[in-house]
Amino acid sequence: MIHRRTTVSILAAVALSTSLVACSAGSDPGPSATDTGAAPPAAPVNLTMTVWTANEDQLALFDEIAQGYIAENPDKVASVDFEVIPFADYTTTLTTQLAGGSPPDLAWILESNAPEFVQSGALTDLRGTLEGTPGYEMDDLVDSALALWEDGDSLYAYPFSSSPFAMFVNTDRIAAAGTANPADLVNQGEWTYDAARDISAASVAKLGGAGLVVRDFEYTVWENLATVWGGWGASPWSEDGTTCTFTEPEMVDAMTWIHEAIFADSAIPGPGTSADFFAGETTMTVTQISRASALDGSFEWDLIPLPEGPEGKQNVIGQAGIGVFAQGANPQIAADFLAYFTNPTNAERLATYFPPPRESLLTAEVLAQANPLLSEEQLQAVVVDGIQGAKTKPSHQNFAQLQDTVRAELDAMWQPDADVESVLADVCTAIDPLLQG
Amino acid sequence: MSPNSQLERQDEAVTEPRDPGGASHHGKRRTSGERAMRASLWVLMAFAAVPFVFPLWWMATSSLKSTSEILRIPPTLLPESPTFTPYREVFELQPFAQQYWNSIYIAVLVTAGTILLSSLAGYAFARIKFPGANALFVLVLAGMLIPAEVTIVPLFRFVNTLGLMDTHWPLIIVPIFGAPSVLATFIMRQFFLGLPYELEEAGRIDGLGRAGLFWRIAFPLARPAIAAVAIFTFLKSWNLYLEPIVYLSSRDKFTIPQALTQYVDAYGGPMWNVQLAATTLTVVPVLIVFIVAQRQFVQGLAHTGLKG
Amino acid sequence: MPSTITSLRVGRPTRRSTWRRRDNAVGYLFVAPQVLGTLAFVVAPLVMVVWYSLHEWNVLANTFTFEGAGNYERMLEDPGLRNSLVVSGWFSLGLVVLNISLAMVLALLLNQKLRGTTAFRVMFFSPVVVSLVAWTIVWGFLLQADGGINGFLSTLGIEGPNWLRNGTTAMISVIVVQVFKNVGLNMILFLAALQGVPVEIQEAAQLDGANAWRRFWAVIVPLVSPTILLVSIITVVGSLEVFAQIDVLTQGGPGHSTTVLVYYLYQQAFEFNQFGYASAVSVLLFVLVLTLTLIQWQTRKRWVFHES
Repeated sequence: MIHRRTTVSILAAVALSTSLVACSAGSDPGPSATDTGAAPPAAPVNLTMTVWTANEDQLALFDEIAQGYIAENPDKVASVDFEVIPFADYTTTLTTQLAGGSPPDLAWILESNAPEFVQSGALTDLRGTLEGTPGYEMDDLVDSALALWEDGDSLYAYPFSSSPFAMFVNTDRIAAAGTANPADLVNQGEWTYDAARDISAASVAKLGGAGLVVRDFEYTVWENLATVWGGWGASPWSEDGTTCTFTEPEMVDAMTWIHEAIFADSAIPGPGTSADFFAGETTMTVTQISRASALDGSFEWDLIPLPEGPEGKQNVIGQAGIGVFAQGANPQIAADFLAYFTNPTNAERLATYFPPPRESLLTAEVLAQANPLLSEEQLQAVVVDGIQGAKTKPSHQNFAQLQDTVRAELDAMWQPDADVESVLADVCTAIDPLLQG
Repeated sequence: MSPNSQLERQDEAVTEPRDPGGASHHGKRRTSGERAMRASLWVLMAFAAVPFVFPLWWMATSSLKSTSEILRIPPTLLPESPTFTPYREVFELQPFAQQYWNSIYIAVLVTAGTILLSSLAGYAFARIKFPGANALFVLVLAGMLIPAEVTIVPLFRFVNTLGLMDTHWPLIIVPIFGAPSVLATFIMRQFFLGLPYELEEAGRIDGLGRAGLFWRIAFPLARPAIAAVAIFTFLKSWNLYLEPIVYLSSRDKFTIPQALTQYVDAYGGPMWNVQLAATTLTVVPVLIVFIVAQRQFVQGLAHTGLKG
Repeated sequence: MPSTITSLRVGRPTRRSTWRRRDNAVGYLFVAPQVLGTLAFVVAPLVMVVWYSLHEWNVLANTFTFEGAGNYERMLEDPGLRNSLVVSGWFSLGLVVLNISLAMVLALLLNQKLRGTTAFRVMFFSPVVVSLVAWTIVWGFLLQADGGINGFLSTLGIEGPNWLRNGTTAMISVIVVQVFKNVGLNMILFLAALQGVPVEIQEAAQLDGANAWRRFWAVIVPLVSPTILLVSIITVVGSLEVFAQIDVLTQGGPGHSTTVLVYYLYQQAFEFNQFGYASAVSVLLFVLVLTLTLIQWQTRKRWVFHES
C-alpha cells in the first residue's frame, strides 16, 4: 500500500531533483546567449571530421593531408582527428552528437540529406573562405555538381566526391553462360536494360547464383533504384519536391519492369537473398566505381556504362559533401582546413578514391593514375562521360521520413503477385503530407 | 540448524533434481511404459536444444569459412577448407584486444561497485526502519521501469557538460548508481528480508553497531545473492549497446558489442566471416567460464526466486 | 521469539532513542548512494524528458520552441504511433506467453531425472551469456530466405517462407530470437521453484487419482505462483524495451509491422530529428510500463498463492 506520507515524500524527492536540474547548467538546447563563435582561440585547436569510411588506406591519406596542413599552420591547428562512424548509422550518430551539444567541426554529408542540412542553417557558408584561399581555383569546380549543396549564393558543403554509377560485369560467368557479351552490346549501341535482364536471367538459369544486382538496394534502400528508373525518365517527386510522381506513367512502367525482372524472370534476386557481386556468384551489378577496390582477382570482370532504358541512358552519380558546423567550436579554422583539404593538389590525391568536382581533374589520364585496376577507356566511358548531365540520387528536405515511409509502402510491392499500380498509389497517398512539408 | 547448512540444502535441491514422479521413491525399477515415456521426453529435450545450440555451432564454423562459402546455398555444415584468416583480420582491422579489455574491465568495475552499493542499500531497506524508507524504496524501484532509450538524450547532454564524452566514466558511473543497479538492490533486499534475525542478535549482544552487523554478519552470509547480482550485472554491462554507441567515438575506446558491428567494408557491407570470428571470440570464453562455473550460476540465480 | 533487544529496552528509554537515531543515520547513509544516483540518473533525466516533450526541438536548425501540449495532441492523431502501440501489444503478448510457457516446459523437463540433465541445462542457458548483438547477427543470417533455416527445411522438402520479409513471420521471427536468448533465465527460476514443491503434496495428488495435467494446474502452479509473478513482471517490462534485435533484424519492417514503441521512439529522435515529439513518446512509454507493472503487482492477491 502506498500511504499518504509515502506519496508526499516521493513528490518532495521529485521537486528536489527538478530544482537540481534547473540549477545545473540550466542549459536548454537551442541558441544560447553566449553563442558568439567569433573570438579566435589563443592556442592551436584539435579539429574533428566525421567520416563513414573505415578503409585504412583512405584514412591514411587523410592523415597525410592533415599533417601537411598542420605543418603549414602550427599556430592554428594542433591535430585533426578523422572519426569513423559506421555508414549504416552515420546520420543518426551525427544527429545524436548534435543533440548532445558536441558536434564535430566537419562532417561528411550524404546527398539524400543534403537539402535538409543545407537549408537548416546548421552549416557555415563556405564560399567566402574557398574563394579567398589563394590557389584554390574556384572556377575549376563543375557548377552542376555544386547545385545540391548551394542555397542562393551560399555554398554550404563541398561535394568532395561525385562518383558515377556504372555496371560491373563478371565476364567469366558471361562466357560460361554463353550469352552475348555486354561490352559488345555497348559498342553496337544495343546495351539496354532489357538486354541486361535477358543475359542475367539466362546466366542464372544455367549457372545458379544471382543475375543483376542493384547494389545496396536490398529491398530497403529504394533510392538506389534511381539508377534503373532513370532509364525510363522517372523520378519519385517533382523538382521542387512538393508533388509525388510515383504514379506517373514513367515510374509505373519502370517499377513494373523491375517487378517482373525479379519475380517473373528471376533476373534480379528476390527479397531476403544475399548476393554479393564481389564474392563471385553474381553476373552483373550496378554500383559506384569506387567499389573496384573490392575486386580480388578471383574472376574476370569488365566495367561498362549503365544500360539504356526506353528513354535512353541517364547518368546517375552519388555525391558526398563535407560541411562545417556553425555550432562547432572553430568554424572559421575548420573552413580554412576544408579549403586546404580540397585544393587542387590535394583533390588530385583524393581522386584516387573520390572523383572531385574539378574539370581539370576529370580526365581519363588523371583518373587512370589513381585507379590502377581500371583502363583509360573504361574510365573515359564510365567516369568522365558519366558525370556529364548526371542526376544525383533522390534527395529532399524531409528525406529521413520520406525514406522510411516509402520503404514501408513499397514493401507491399516486393511480393510475387503485387499490384504495382495500386502500391504506387498508396505510396503517393502516404507521402503527400510529407512532401508538402 | 545452522543457517549455512540450511542454505546448502537448498543449493543441493536445485542442482540435483529430485524426482517428483513418486513411484521411484525406493529403488530404480521402472516399468517399460515409464521407460518409453522417459525416452520420448529425452528426445523432446534433445530436439528443443537444437535452436539453442545450433546458432552457436554455425557461428563458430562459419568463422573459419570464406565469405562466399558462408553465402552458399545449400549451406555447408563444416567448413570446406578451414582458415584462420578471419581471426587474424579481427585483430588487424580493429584494436580488438583493447576493446575486449575495455568490456572486461568496465564490467568488472561495474559489478564490484554494484555489489557494494546494492548490498548496502538492500540491507538498509530490509532491516532498518528509518523514516521514509518505504517512500525511498518505491522511488528507487521506479528506476527499474525506465528504458534506457527514454533517458539517453538528457544523460548525454549531462555527460557532455561534464566533459566526459568519449571516456568510459559514463559507462561505469551510471550503471552503478543509476537504473541498472536497482534490480540488484531489489535482489539483495529480498535476500536480507529472508535472513533469520537470530544471526544478527548474537552480534548485537556482542556489542556490534549496525555497520558492524552488516559487514561482519549479514554481508558474508549473502554469498548466493551476491553471486546472482554479480552474474546479472556483469552480463548487463557486457551487453550494453546503445550507451557505448552514444558516448564513445574513438575506436580504441569501443566495447565489444560496438566493435562487432564495425567489421564492415568501406561501404557498410558486413564482412561476414570476420564478424563471425569476432563474435566467436567473444562468446567462447564466456561460455567456458559458464560451463566451468555453471553450478554457481544456477545456485545464485535460483536464490533470487525462492522468496517470490 | 523473545528479542534480547526487547528485554534490554525495559527501563532504558534514552539509550534506545539514541540507538534508534544512530540506526536511522546509518540507514540513510547506506541508501544514500543508490537514492542520490536514482535522483541524478533516473529522475532528473525523466524530468528533463518531460520538459523536452513540451517543446519542438530541431537539432539541425538548433531551435527549441515551446509548444505546450502540442506534441501530445499530435500523439493522439498519429497513425504511426497507434500502429506501434498495436505492434508492441502483439509483440509483448507473444513474447511473454511463449517465453513463460517454454521456460516452464523446459523446467519441467529438466526436473525429471533424465540422463544428461546437467548438459541440457547448460545448453538451454548458454544463449543468456552470449552477447545480444552476436546472437541477433547470427540469427539474422540464418533467417534469410536462402539462409540456414530454409536450407534445413529444404532438405525436408519444405519451402520455407521469407521469414524477415513477410509481416507476420517477421514478427514471429523477432519474438522467437528474443525468447530463445532469454528463456534460460526464466527456466532456472522456475526450476528452483519447482524444486521447492514438496514431493509429498504431489504424491498425495497422484494417489487421489489426479493425472499429470491436473496435478500441474491444481498443485504445482499455485505453489510456484510467486515465482511466476516475478518472472512475468520482469518479462513484460523487458518485452517493452526490446530494441537492438529489431534494429539488427528488421529495422521495423516489412512495412511497419515490427515497429514497436521503443523503435518508433528511436526513429523519431535519431532518424527524423524530432526530439521534442520523441520525448513525448518516451513519457508515454514510461507511463505504460508503470501502469502494467502496477496492475500486475496489485492483482497478485488474486492469483498468487501465499501460504499464510
